[in-house]
Amino acid sequence: MAPGAESAIRENSRPRKLQRLGVLSGFAAGAWLGAAEAPTKLVSVGISPIVISLIMVIGVFLARWSLPALILGTSSIRADLRRTPHLIVWAILAGCLWAVANTMTIFAIRDIGLSIAFPLWNSNSLLGILWGVIFFKELRDAGWRRWTGVVGGALVMCVGATLLAVASSTQAPAAHSLRGVWAALGAGILWGTMYIPYRKAYLSGMNPLSFVTFFTFGELGMMAALAIGYLGLSPLWLQLTMAKDVLFWLMLGGFIWVIGDVFQQYAAKYVGISRGIPLSNTNQLWGLLWGILVFGELRGSGASTYLQVVGGSLLMMLGVGAIAFSSAGGKEQTQWKEAALRESRRYSIAEDFVEARMQGEQIAGEVRPPRSPLDWILVAGATSIFVLFATMARAPMMSFHSGPAALLVAATFVLFLVCGVALWRTTRFN
Amino acid sequence: MRQPYNSDQHGSRLTNVLTDVHFWVPVAVLIGGLLLLKSIH
Repeated sequence: MAPGAESAIRENSRPRKLQRLGVLSGFAAGAWLGAAEAPTKLVSVGISPIVISLIMVIGVFLARWSLPALILGTSSIRADLRRTPHLIVWAILAGCLWAVANTMTIFAIRDIGLSIAFPLWNSNSLLGILWGVIFFKELRDAGWRRWTGVVGGALVMCVGATLLAVASSTQAPAAHSLRGVWAALGAGILWGTMYIPYRKAYLSGMNPLSFVTFFTFGELGMMAALAIGYLGLSPLWLQLTMAKDVLFWLMLGGFIWVIGDVFQQYAAKYVGISRGIPLSNTNQLWGLLWGILVFGELRGSGASTYLQVVGGSLLMMLGVGAIAFSSAGGKEQTQWKEAALRESRRYSIAEDFVEARMQGEQIAGEVRPPRSPLDWILVAGATSIFVLFATMARAPMMSFHSGPAALLVAATFVLFLVCGVALWRTTRFN
Repeated sequence: MRQPYNSDQHGSRLTNVLTDVHFWVPVAVLIGGLLLLKSIH
């Protein structure tokens, strides 16, 4: 085959390959974000929800520095930062949005219960679609089929999520108040808006692994400020010392959550936020699987509850299928390139760099910076902290089915390996 | 490759950030979220 023809075939097949990669990343994100709930279920002592959230975020912080250092290296992160320094602002902003939204969900669950709160904040996917269309030219020139697939799929997923949330709500809400509805809607709006910085970063060519290292400063800073603001420094410290037996499980939850979030970032990069967010929202399905099969939730429930679970799961899978089969076509991809061009011109980022990164590639002649001792110091430091807290951890006394747990862990790791290898082969994590 | 530091470039970058609608929408939502959190707590 002539070199020109070979290159043309490659150019045509590359976007499709990246779309498939984005969809796969969305599925892997759902599995890992759902699995992150498992360690938190082991915690049943009387700790303030804000403290639980703060401890998870500390685990998240450790993971967000050690994983990128291990996979990419801090030199690559620094190189990324030199090209797009303005994105630090958006990364920190996104972290702050996440922390406030997460705190709101605590209040929403307290006031209106999980069954009403979860579907309300799951509306973040609809807002994500709106921001994607308005700001990043997603779904432009996509045709009515893709519009129906994405918007219809997201709506069907919301209905499925409602059924699952109703079924998984094991206790009656404390109070049906308007305050809880506002908190849940607020969380959905904040989380939906958090994807504006995500998409902006990836249209500018920033590596998702670089973005999350700065995102976490906003996340930990805002969460610490909220915890100190609500509880006060001394009561917060007292609760942290009282919770030393369970710190490890919560930090482990945060660590697993980060792996899911990294896959979510790659989904947002390669399929956009309009498709990436609903695909990642399948975490609710995985969380429910962990709850029912491993922790024996819903035991003794009536047939109607199980019908809701089966119906909700089928609807979620239907919605996910509709979105997964509505990948962006050539015309829509041209619109994405225009959105990327806006970023490139506005912030003086080399167009060839942005173009290459959109294709998950390096620019011609670009050399990946070498690893530095700092990478290994970060990895060793984070590992040591986790080992230290693991030695203090207490094995919880609760119902736990190890057989289904082993199956779910195996399925989650299979997705990790399949998606990780596909990302490495196709993009070298670019 | 390290880019030479230029204060004009830094100033124009700041102006670009502060005049970018992508910046103000998340900022407005964050402020709204903090106010809402304050009112529901």
